[in-house]
Amino acid sequence: MSAVTETEAAAFVPADARRAGRMLNAAIIILLCVWVLLPIYLVLVNALSDPQTVTGWPKHFVPTFDLGSLSFFISYAGVLKALGNSVVVAVLTMVLSLGFGAPAGYALARFDFPGKGVFRLLVLMTRAFPLPLLALPLAVMFIRTGLDDSLFGLALVHTTLALPFSVLITASLFSGIPFELEEAAWTLGCTRLQAVRKVVLPLALPGIAASGVFAFVTSWNEVFAAAVLTIRNRTLTAFLIQSLDVSPLPLKFAGAAVLVLPALIFLFAVRKYLFSLWGIANR
Amino acid sequence: MLGKQFTLRGALSALAVTAGLSAAFGAGAARADGMLFWSTQARPVEEAQAVREQVLAGFGAPVDFQPQDNGPFFTRIQAELESGKGTIAVLGGLHADFSTLVPNMIDLDDVAGTLGDAHISQTFTGLSKLGTDHYKYIPWMQASYVMAANKKALQYLPKGADINALTYDQLIEWAKAMKDATGSPKFGLPAGPKGLLHRFFQGYAYPSFTGSVVTNFRSPEAVAMWDKLKELWAVAQPASTNYGFMQEPLLTGEVWVAWEHTSRLQDAFNKMPDDFVAFPAPAGPQGRGFMPVLTGLAVLKTAPDAAESKKLISYLMKPESQVAMLKATGFFPVTDAKLPDDMPASMRISGAAIQAQSGAKDAVASLLPQGLGELGGRFNKVYTDSFQRIVLAGQPVKDVLDDEAKVLKSIMDEAKAPCWAPDKPSEGTCPVN
Repeated sequence: MSAVTETEAAAFVPADARRAGRMLNAAIIILLCVWVLLPIYLVLVNALSDPQTVTGWPKHFVPTFDLGSLSFFISYAGVLKALGNSVVVAVLTMVLSLGFGAPAGYALARFDFPGKGVFRLLVLMTRAFPLPLLALPLAVMFIRTGLDDSLFGLALVHTTLALPFSVLITASLFSGIPFELEEAAWTLGCTRLQAVRKVVLPLALPGIAASGVFAFVTSWNEVFAAAVLTIRNRTLTAFLIQSLDVSPLPLKFAGAAVLVLPALIFLFAVRKYLFSLWGIANR
Repeated sequence: MLGKQFTLRGALSALAVTAGLSAAFGAGAARADGMLFWSTQARPVEEAQAVREQVLAGFGAPVDFQPQDNGPFFTRIQAELESGKGTIAVLGGLHADFSTLVPNMIDLDDVAGTLGDAHISQTFTGLSKLGTDHYKYIPWMQASYVMAANKKALQYLPKGADINALTYDQLIEWAKAMKDATGSPKFGLPAGPKGLLHRFFQGYAYPSFTGSVVTNFRSPEAVAMWDKLKELWAVAQPASTNYGFMQEPLLTGEVWVAWEHTSRLQDAFNKMPDDFVAFPAPAGPQGRGFMPVLTGLAVLKTAPDAAESKKLISYLMKPESQVAMLKATGFFPVTDAKLPDDMPASMRISGAAIQAQSGAKDAVASLLPQGLGELGGRFNKVYTDSFQRIVLAGQPVKDVLDDEAKVLKSIMDEAKAPCWAPDKPSEGTCPVN
């Protein structure tokens, strides 16, 4: 099949134009890869170089493999605990936003109820208020209720940030799965819940996982609420980012590597689920 | 397909277990040990680490030192004040940080009383009462802004110029000579978003040319000053508008001569102590304007145990702690603590420049803005806006100053702030002539 189309195409398009098209294609791919990979590469090179090389000129593209800057962070009081806190909060956020978001998404996709359009919009409204504005009343309430300085409390805040997206992403996922499949399951004796669990969920799982990843990243990157709502149980971003922007260049790079690497590893581990966010089938 | 389903299910249940465990862990780990020391100072990671390991470790009881950006710093304080339940034991901040918190800070007269023989300078003790009759904070450390130069730049100094007694004219001549000789501008200012350039106008340029910061904002002397600054900018590194901390362009060699806060120079001085010199800021027609920066320690009304907080403050004011702080942060003692001989290079270099600057015969001390409270940001903006409009955009000096003077006047009226040095004390709001 493809051989036929190729010869057909060859008949109409001159070889030069095809080559140019291929080269353009390759150039765009290379450009995009450089766009994404170069900053990460530079962060890693500079994190692994000694301070003189980092501040010196000309810049080097090969690290000098000096672990001084990185080891500073390993011994920096509280980094490991903060890293642990970040992971815990991010995982909690992921679980909570899926736990609430997926059923809400299913409802949006399958049921018609009054105010559905308004609900869709209102869900997004939670992102309309900047966190620095919300942080003060939240902090007061948290201190009064005893949620202050707990990882669970922070995860709740991050969940409200991530929830709109997990609702909307899962809603579009569920509406992409034919309702007929569910109906078929009912005719074969499934209850509504069983049909969802045995037919719809397996089909939607990669996408759900992807929206979970999104929640994870949202929580991982959040600074302001984390800085105000946690004191002893800081997350890694709250712990480091404010200090990093006023730190010397070599430490900025090393700190960036410390912040980026765990998220990168996590994303790499779940990358195949992530593709389903863009509708690439993964079965 | 089946296999995948199982792995996914396995992954999800593993997540659920983690979450359950972590929720339990999160609840259990709250309220760990240590007094909370909430600070806007010593934010760079290396400094924070040094404060924890070299200064606070000697206190005896665990102290949790948390340096913060201004936003979270004040939001957290407000939240604790509103809810009436505090975890912050001691506040560390700039003089200006405390001015908004006066009614919520406890008096520290008893702590000040125990410091009798520490000899804090009179200027500083006066400031720390924040317009009341009581010590609202205890002066902690001080710093200032000085000039720094790569030794390569010294050969281009104008003939007959004394580096410790430069004038603005000589600085311009010097910067021009370096630009002509090397082909690229070698004088830099921290004019980036993270830079402290507004302090250059408030504490250095304006006092040097007009002997005032607020009152003579649009005087003929101020017009002459902006004309000089335009000349200076013409021979300055244009990348200055990106600079935050001058130690970075100084280290890369992009800039040879710079004006900067001493703590934002220390990385350069420590890494290449033999390559740099520090010296006082230049002088204008009205003298050598300079700005001392004062930090302090305070206790909020909501502090969990005020007696413990005061103990920590007393500890931090001991000569040993002050010297340890100097080594950790590059801020200098406010007391007459004896400085050791084995100081890091940055302390040696900046210390001498600060002394020469404040001890200069023509020195004009200019304090950080006072009594402006949360209007401080808008006050600073008047000066950076004037700079952007006059120097960067080339708008007519007189027009811009007239415009900005109106803004400045409205800020002063709103804050009802009296004049501070070097402006002459005012009855009521500081006037903008």
